[in-house]
Amino acid sequence: MANEVYQTQKNEFNTNGGQILLYYIDDVLYGIEIEYITEIISIMPITVVPRVPDFIKGVINIRGKVVPVISIRNKINQPEIPYDDKTCIIIVEINDLTVGLIVDCVREISTVLPTDTCSAPDFKTVNENQYIKSIIDSNGEIKQLLDIHKLILE
Amino acid sequence: MSRFESGMESMIDTYIYESTSLLETLDQIMMRTESNNRFDEEDINEIFRIMHTIKGSSAMMGLENMSTLAHRIEDMFFIIREEKPVIESIQTLYELVFDSSDLLKAEIDMLQDEDSEPTDFGEQIAKIESFVEYLKTGTMPGNEPAASENASEGVKTEAASDSGNTDGFVKVRVFFEDNCEMENLRALLIVNKISEYCTELKTIPENIETDSSTAKEIVENGFLIMFKSHEDDQKLIMTEIEGAINVKSYEVLDAPAQTESAPAEEPAKEIAAEKDAEPAPAAEPVKAEPAVQAAAKAEKPAAPAQTTEQINNKLQQKNTNHAAKGKQSLISVNLNKLDQLLDMVGEIVIAEAMVTSNPDLKGLKLDNFQKSARELRKLTDELQDIVMSIRMVPLSGVFNKMTRIVRDMKVKLNKDVNLVFEGEETEVDKSVIDNLNDPLMHMVRNSMDHGIEETQEERIAAGKPAQGTITLAAYNSSGEVIIVVSDDGGGIDTQKVLSKAMANGLLTKPAEEYTDKEIFNMVMLPGFSTNTEVTEFSGRGVGMDVVRQSIEKIGGTVSVDSKKGEGTNFIIKIPLSLAIIDGIEVSVGKSIFTIPTNTIKKFIKLKEGQLFYDTSQKEIIKDGNKCYPLIRLHQFYNIEPTSDNIYDGVVVLVESEGRSACILVDELIGEQQVVVKPFSPMFNRYNIKQQGMAGCTILGDGSITIILDIDNIINEN
Repeated sequence: MANEVYQTQKNEFNTNGGQILLYYIDDVLYGIEIEYITEIISIMPITVVPRVPDFIKGVINIRGKVVPVISIRNKINQPEIPYDDKTCIIIVEINDLTVGLIVDCVREISTVLPTDTCSAPDFKTVNENQYIKSIIDSNGEIKQLLDIHKLILE
Repeated sequence: MSRFESGMESMIDTYIYESTSLLETLDQIMMRTESNNRFDEEDINEIFRIMHTIKGSSAMMGLENMSTLAHRIEDMFFIIREEKPVIESIQTLYELVFDSSDLLKAEIDMLQDEDSEPTDFGEQIAKIESFVEYLKTGTMPGNEPAASENASEGVKTEAASDSGNTDGFVKVRVFFEDNCEMENLRALLIVNKISEYCTELKTIPENIETDSSTAKEIVENGFLIMFKSHEDDQKLIMTEIEGAINVKSYEVLDAPAQTESAPAEEPAKEIAAEKDAEPAPAAEPVKAEPAVQAAAKAEKPAAPAQTTEQINNKLQQKNTNHAAKGKQSLISVNLNKLDQLLDMVGEIVIAEAMVTSNPDLKGLKLDNFQKSARELRKLTDELQDIVMSIRMVPLSGVFNKMTRIVRDMKVKLNKDVNLVFEGEETEVDKSVIDNLNDPLMHMVRNSMDHGIEETQEERIAAGKPAQGTITLAAYNSSGEVIIVVSDDGGGIDTQKVLSKAMANGLLTKPAEEYTDKEIFNMVMLPGFSTNTEVTEFSGRGVGMDVVRQSIEKIGGTVSVDSKKGEGTNFIIKIPLSLAIIDGIEVSVGKSIFTIPTNTIKKFIKLKEGQLFYDTSQKEIIKDGNKCYPLIRLHQFYNIEPTSDNIYDGVVVLVESEGRSACILVDELIGEQQVVVKPFSPMFNRYNIKQQGMAGCTILGDGSITIILDIDNIINEN
C-alpha cells in the first residue's frame, strides 16, 4: 500500500521535474507541488465569512474573482499568529477550485529527486499526520510535502 | 474524423437548434390533437411542414437516414391529408410519430458527438411504410398508384411544350455574391419570403431545398424565379428579392405588361408550366425521382420546353390558415456571447461605482460631476435591465416538455392524470432554464409514479375525482422564482418513509425525534426510494437526490410538503439570476454586509419603550401597531459589535415571503448597485445559504461584502 503511494508520487515528480515550492510554518519547512500554484501574493485584507470552520479565514478579491482563503497553520493545528509583511497567500487551483493558502513565509522553488522522498508515516494510526503526503530529505534538510487534495477538499 | 464536410460545421449548430425546436413543436401538436382526438387540417399541414423542413435540412447536412425517416412521415401525412382515410387505429399513428420524433431527437443529440455513426432507421421506416400501406389499402382500395412509393407521388410529371403556358409569369433571375456558399439555401430563403405574395411560384433549379448540388447550378446560371401574383404585390416581391441577403444582382427577364401577354423567353431557360386548377402553390419543391431529375438536367440546356415538374401545392393552405405574417423579428444568439455581455455589464457597474464613489472625490463639492454621474447611473441601470431581459426565457417551454412525459407515463402506468400549468409565462434566466429540465422531469415522473394512487378505485374511495391532477405552477416572489410541482395523490406516508430510511441506514437520530418536515425531506436523500420495485420511470433511488443536486447547482433550494391523503408539493426556489441587485450596505463591527433593497421596508432608530421581551426572553420590537422579532446581526454571526447598546445601532425592518423581522446593525453605510458573485463551491458543504448568505459582491474600492439572504436569516433565527 505504502509502496503504491510512493510509486504514484515518483511519477508525479518525474513528469513535473519534481519541483515544489517551499514555505514555512514556524520553523518547519513544508512543500507544495508547483503545478497547482497559479500565483503567490502578499497578505491582503480578508473579508470574514461567518459560520464556517475556523480554518477558512474568509474571501479575498483577486482581479474580480472571489477566492476563499485557508490558513495552513490552522489546518495543521498550530496556534494563530498575527500576519506580518512576510505572510503570503499561495493561490492554488485544484479541480477547478481556486483557493488561497495562508503561510508564514515562502522560501524558494526547489527540485526534488525521487531518491530523496520517503513515504509518509501511516496515516491511519496517527491522526495528526493526516495531511502529510511524503517526507523529503535532501542533504539532511527535512521538508514535508502536504497533500493538497486532502487539505482543501476534505 | 468529422461527420461533416468542412464548411458544414458552422451550419451544424443552426441545424441542431432548428430541428430540435421543430420536433418540439411536433410533439406539442401531436399532444394537443391527441387530447382533442382530432386532426385539424391546419395541424396536418403544420406537421407536414415540419417534416418537410427536417427532411430538407437533414439531406443538406448529408444525414441521409434522418432525411429518409422524415420523408416517410411526410408521405404518411400526405396520404392522411389528401385522401382523408378513416383511421381506425389512430393510436398506432401517434405511437409512430412519437417514436420517430424520439429517434430523430436522439440522432440530433448524437450529432454533437463527432465519432457517432448514423443510426439505421430501417425498422421504424418499415413500420411507417406498413402503416401507409394500411392507410391506402385498408381504407381506400383501388387507389391509383400516384400517391405511393416515394416523393414523386405528389409530383405529376408532365411534358408541356406549349410555351404559351407561361402566361402571366414574372421572371426574375437572381445572382448571389461570389463565394457566399449555400446558394441553394439562400435561394430558398428568397422563395420562402416571397411565397406568401405569390399565387403561383416556380423556380429553376427546382429542388433547391433537398439537392445541394443545385448550389453550383445557381452560381453558374443564376437562380430563376417565376411567379404569378397580384399586381399590387409585385412591387413587394421585388423589394423582398432586392433586400434578400447576399444577393449580388437580379434582373427581371420579362414581366408581362399585363397579366395575359405571352412574353418571349430565353430559349435555353424556357420553362413549361402546367397551370393548376388550384391556386397558390407555395414554395414546396419536391424531390423528383432520380431518373426524371437527371433527365431534366441533361435536357435542359439542349432542348427548350422540356420536362418540368409542377411545383406541388402542398402548402397552399398555409397561406390561408396563417394569415398573421410579418417579417421575422427574432434572432438566435450564442449563449456565450450573452454571458460575456452580462459579465461586461457587471464590470461596468463596478467601474461606475469606482468612479463615482472614488475616495479622491471625498469632501469635494462637485455639482456638475454629480449630475453627470447620475446620468451615467441611469444609463447603466437601463443597460442592465435590457441585458437581463434579453436572457429571460418563459418557463412554458420546459413545462410543455412535461406534457409529453405525462402522456407517455399515462399509457404505460395506466393512470389517468391531467397535467395543469399555472403561470407558465413566468420568466427565468436562460442558464436556469437549461438546468431545470431534468429536475422537473424527475419530479413529474415521481408524482406520476409514486404520487398519484395506483388505481382509480382508490381515488374514488378517498372521495377524489377519478382523474388525478399534477400541477406545475410558477410565480415570482421577492427576487426568486418559485416552481411548485404538486399532485393530488396519496401524500407521503411518514411511517413508510421512516422505516425505509431506517432500513437504508439514513437516520442520524432516534426515529421518534423526526418532525414531519424532516421526514418529507428524507425522500431527497441519496439512495432513497420508497417504491420497492424499480420501474422504468422512477424508483432507481437516484431521482430526487439528482433533483436536489441540480437545483442546488443553480443556487436554488427544494423542499417537500405533503398531507396524507391530499397530495404532495415539491417546492423549488431559484434565484431570478438577478446578477445585479440594489443593496444597502450596513456595517456590523468591522464587517460590512449588503442587504438587498427589495427586502427592506424601513429603517428604525429605536426609541425607549419599543423593545419588549416575550415569554422565552426573545427580543421583540414594536413599531406602530405591529411587533417584530429582533435579530441582532452581530449575535447571529458572532461578530464583535462597535457598541452593545441597541439604541446606538440602526434597526432594519425586512420582509421576505410574507414574514417580517427587525435586524439590528451598527451603521448604515450607503446604497449601491452590486454584482452578485456566487460563493466558491468550497463553501457548499457548510450550507452557507441556509446561514443567511446569498453570495458576495465586490465594492468600488475592491473590498468584498457578503449579501444577506433575508429569508434564510428569518428562518434560521
